[in-house]
Order: sequence, then C-alpha cells, then structure tokens
Amino acid sequence: MVMGLQVFSERAEDGTGQPRLDADAGEELMHVQPGVSIALGSHPPESPGNLYITSRRVVWLSDAEKDKGYAVDFLSVSLHAVSTDPEAYPLPCIYAQIETGCDEDEESGGSDSEQQEDFNLSKITEMRLVPSDPSQLDALFEIFCRCAELNPDIHEDGEEETEWFYGDEDIADDGAEEDPEWHFSENLANPIGFANGDHDLAHSVLQLQINDQRFDDAEEMEQAPRHEHQ
Amino acid sequence: MLFFSYFKELVGKEVTVELKNDLAIRGTLHSVDQYLNIKLENTRVVDQDKYPHMLSVRNCFIRGSVVRYVQLPPDGVDIDILHDATRREARGA
Repeated sequence: MVMGLQVFSERAEDGTGQPRLDADAGEELMHVQPGVSIALGSHPPESPGNLYITSRRVVWLSDAEKDKGYAVDFLSVSLHAVSTDPEAYPLPCIYAQIETGCDEDEESGGSDSEQQEDFNLSKITEMRLVPSDPSQLDALFEIFCRCAELNPDIHEDGEEETEWFYGDEDIADDGAEEDPEWHFSENLANPIGFANGDHDLAHSVLQLQINDQRFDDAEEMEQAPRHEHQ
Repeated sequence: MLFFSYFKELVGKEVTVELKNDLAIRGTLHSVDQYLNIKLENTRVVDQDKYPHMLSVRNCFIRGSVVRYVQLPPDGVDIDILHDATRREARGA
C-alpha cells in the first residue's frame, strides 16, 4: 500500500475527465463534487477542481490544469472532520489528517511557513477540501465516513503492534534448520558492540553468548536468543 | 470484540481520544464500529496551544488504527461488568 498523498493525473479516456479507477481491484466511484479547492499542508488553496470519492481513495483533479491532481488512499486518512470555525480556518472545509509513513517530527507544525518553498507531497500531513458550496459539507463528511469504513486496515505481521514472542511458538517452525549467521565464534577478539564504544550493547551481546553455550544441549533453543535480540 | 461492545455502551458520553501522533480530541462519542473507528461530535482539541488550527471542528471521524488511548468518563466505567467481560474474553468464550 502507498502511504500519504500521491500525484494523480490519470483520467479515463471516455471524455468525462473522470479519474481512471482501478476497476480490477473493485474500485468504484461513490461521489463527485464539483467546485472544490484543495489546500495541502500550509499552502494556499489551489484553483477549483472536481473531488472524486471512490471506494478506496480520495481523488482531486484540477479544472484548469488537466494534468494536475492528487490522490490519497483512505487507508492513509487517519482523521477527517468538518471545520467551520473561521478561527481554525477562514473557509468552511473538510479537514483531513494524512499518515505519511515518514518521520512525523519533520512536519508537525502544519501552519509553519518555512516549508513554503518545499512542496514535498510525501510530507504533507494535512489536507483541506473547500467546496464552493459550504452546505455540502455535512453530506461530504458522511460520504467520507462511509468510504473510510469500507477500508479497514490490513493486518501485516510486525506492523505497528508489538508482536509478543512466546518462546515455544516459532521453534516448531524452523526447528532443525540451523542459522549459520547465528553461531558466534567462541573467542571473538572484537565482539559486536565494542567497535563503536557502546559497552552496554557489547555487554548484552556477551551475555547472549553465555546463554548460547548454556543451551547448547537443547538444540531447538538455539533460535530463541535471536528473537530476543531483534 | 470486547472493546467494540464496551465502547458502544459509551455512545452519547464525553470521551477524549488520544491519537498516536499525540493529538488529543475531546468530544461526545457519536458512534463506534467494529474496527474501532470513532466518530465524535462537538469536538475540541485538548492542547489548543499546540494545535491552534484545529481549534474546533464540529464533528470528526477518527480511524481506529491511529487511536492510542480512549479516556473514559469515570461514571461510564462499570468495573464489575468489565471484570466479567474480560474474564469471559480471556477464556475465549
């Protein structure tokens, strides 16, 4: 899956100017909202375009520039809201936070102006969609909700959640097979960790070696310290 | 499913949802679904100095996967029921 905002300019070749959808993956167009400006991060709103909400993502295509547009998967939209308070933003809009997969610290401010020159889509964490007709906001919000619910997270192994390791689980999988990388020589002249002066790390590596020897007779346990170490 | 059932009981109450990016939003719990997506109404950002631009959004949909904590109203926590439910869950019922 692609995180964050993407440049998008693929239009269908049927003359409607609609975005080309991934029909093979079952993507369907759920809603079209004309006359929507998009504002990315702290950048000013761009000239209006069409907003397309599909079963998988949000696509915005510019009216004026046919090859200009953006898309973001619902999987990357962590939050969306109706913003009508002029103190929060001068124009009524749908406000969305976008998960980029980049380091969050790099652009947390959002309203800072120093990144003005740097229009790096992969670092945009906020998006505002400003419809020319503010009375459409609530309807748009509901469509956003419906489509977000169509896209629950795919659970990948070792993703965000801490994966607990229970000693006896993995062992059955790769029991007999020995990992050649895992056999430390008995007398390491320069054990891992000493090289960069990190004595704590070196200490724990040494401890692991001790454990390794102690468990020598229990063959299947040889894999265990490796998991702790990861 | 335990949390889903439990959060459904809290609909209409004030909760604070803390996101994994540290943003905390307080509002009335409007609904929650099986993915623990949370919809809040009458929301406000807890740390307004840090997030001035989010000062007030009327309603808000938060993706379940970005939620770190949900702070509950003390009167919304029936400890006995929760005890029972967690034991049942632990038994795999």
